[in-house]
Amino acid sequence: MNPIMKFIHLMGSPPWFYQFSGRLIPWLWGLFVVLAACGLYLGLVKAPPDYLQGESARIMYIHVPSAWMSMMIYALMAVMGFVGLVWHVRIAEILAISSAPIGALFTAVALASGSLWGRPTWGTYWVWDARLTSELVLLFLYLGVIGLYSAFDEPRKAARAASLLALVGLVNLPIIHYSVTWWNTLHQGSSIGASGSSIHPSMLWPLLIMALATKFYYAANLLSRARIRLIEQDQRKNWVRELLQEGTA
Amino acid sequence: MSHTPFILAAYGVATLLLLWGALAPVLRARKLKSEIRARLERTGD
Amino acid sequence: MHPTRKRRMIGLLVILIGVGLASAVTIYSLRQNMLFFVSPSDIGEQDLPMGREFRLGGLVEPGSVRRAANGLAVRFTVTDGVAAVTVDYDGILPDLFREGQGVIARGQLQTRELFVAREVLAKHDENYMPPEVAEALEEKGMHNKSGQGADG
Repeated sequence: MNPIMKFIHLMGSPPWFYQFSGRLIPWLWGLFVVLAACGLYLGLVKAPPDYLQGESARIMYIHVPSAWMSMMIYALMAVMGFVGLVWHVRIAEILAISSAPIGALFTAVALASGSLWGRPTWGTYWVWDARLTSELVLLFLYLGVIGLYSAFDEPRKAARAASLLALVGLVNLPIIHYSVTWWNTLHQGSSIGASGSSIHPSMLWPLLIMALATKFYYAANLLSRARIRLIEQDQRKNWVRELLQEGTA
Repeated sequence: MSHTPFILAAYGVATLLLLWGALAPVLRARKLKSEIRARLERTGD
Repeated sequence: MHPTRKRRMIGLLVILIGVGLASAVTIYSLRQNMLFFVSPSDIGEQDLPMGREFRLGGLVEPGSVRRAANGLAVRFTVTDGVAAVTVDYDGILPDLFREGQGVIARGQLQTRELFVAREVLAKHDENYMPPEVAEALEEKGMHNKSGQGADG
């Protein structure tokens, strides 16, 4: 068996996943804290104000990474949901459903920070343009996935129903991304794309560091949430009993 | 219009939400583990 | 692949393609209604009715802004490079309101050439840079301030 397949098989073993993720989580949090501290220092202290928007452009360093995460987490949730639905891999189901609250949080942060950025620049907290509306729909999709999951008693059935909703909602992601090109919107177009970036390097670096930091936040938080679901589902199994009776972890 | 209150509010909301998101599973894990331990001690099951 | 898994995968892919197609058709048929604003040339082409509220988007024509001697009333021209409409507005303008910058005004047409706005929002583009860089670009005449526009 090649090493990658071996790793995937090991990840499918609950005790092994629990141990492995438990060792990984502190490192992921550590990286998040260091990167976020660097990113915030560079963004809020070192970076220059924008020529047009002035100081308010500093909201970018939290708004843009959160908005990216809101979409990336949704895509990952759908992919893991797909793996869960097709192969009935329990750990994939757990990772999919554990992603939903984190994605919802990032969506809420993106919406709130965007609103607080819109007031001093555009002159309004909210408009119903295609970008803002489709991002709000994303929040409702996350809440729908969480709600549907909790409506079932049996966790594996719940995960499958929630994964199916997550997959159907995938159609919203290209709508969010292309909303600013397909329609006239108040929201400006993408600053970073295949053709490069229209953000000055002094402002781009803090943005990219914050974007990397949020990925570690997601990884650490996802594993913490997945571990809880795992011991909750397996609480009558031997490995959880042994784990908790040892008094470790 | 001063932008400082908007910047502070944006980062404040983000910090609160993300902090809550990080702490919630820690508290939940603690509660769940003590519940399971209590049940194991009571019934040995 | 195991036949059951293959069947499940095909089932899911069919659902995904179906939902994707349905959304694509819906979005395509709604594309006119989902426009957040219309451009000055659209007004000429589309015969928008008087007295119906809509949003007008474009660039504030440089040199066109006239402020009233007292009060907040302001008159300026919104252009998309092809057509232009005069806008009257009595209220607080957003901080980013500048000549040459994008605006979106909500209001209605009084005549074919005069738009009375109830609300004016500023639209900015996707370029971010420090003030010094913007000045340097300005001096070289490279910084195209009208680099965004009605079509974002």
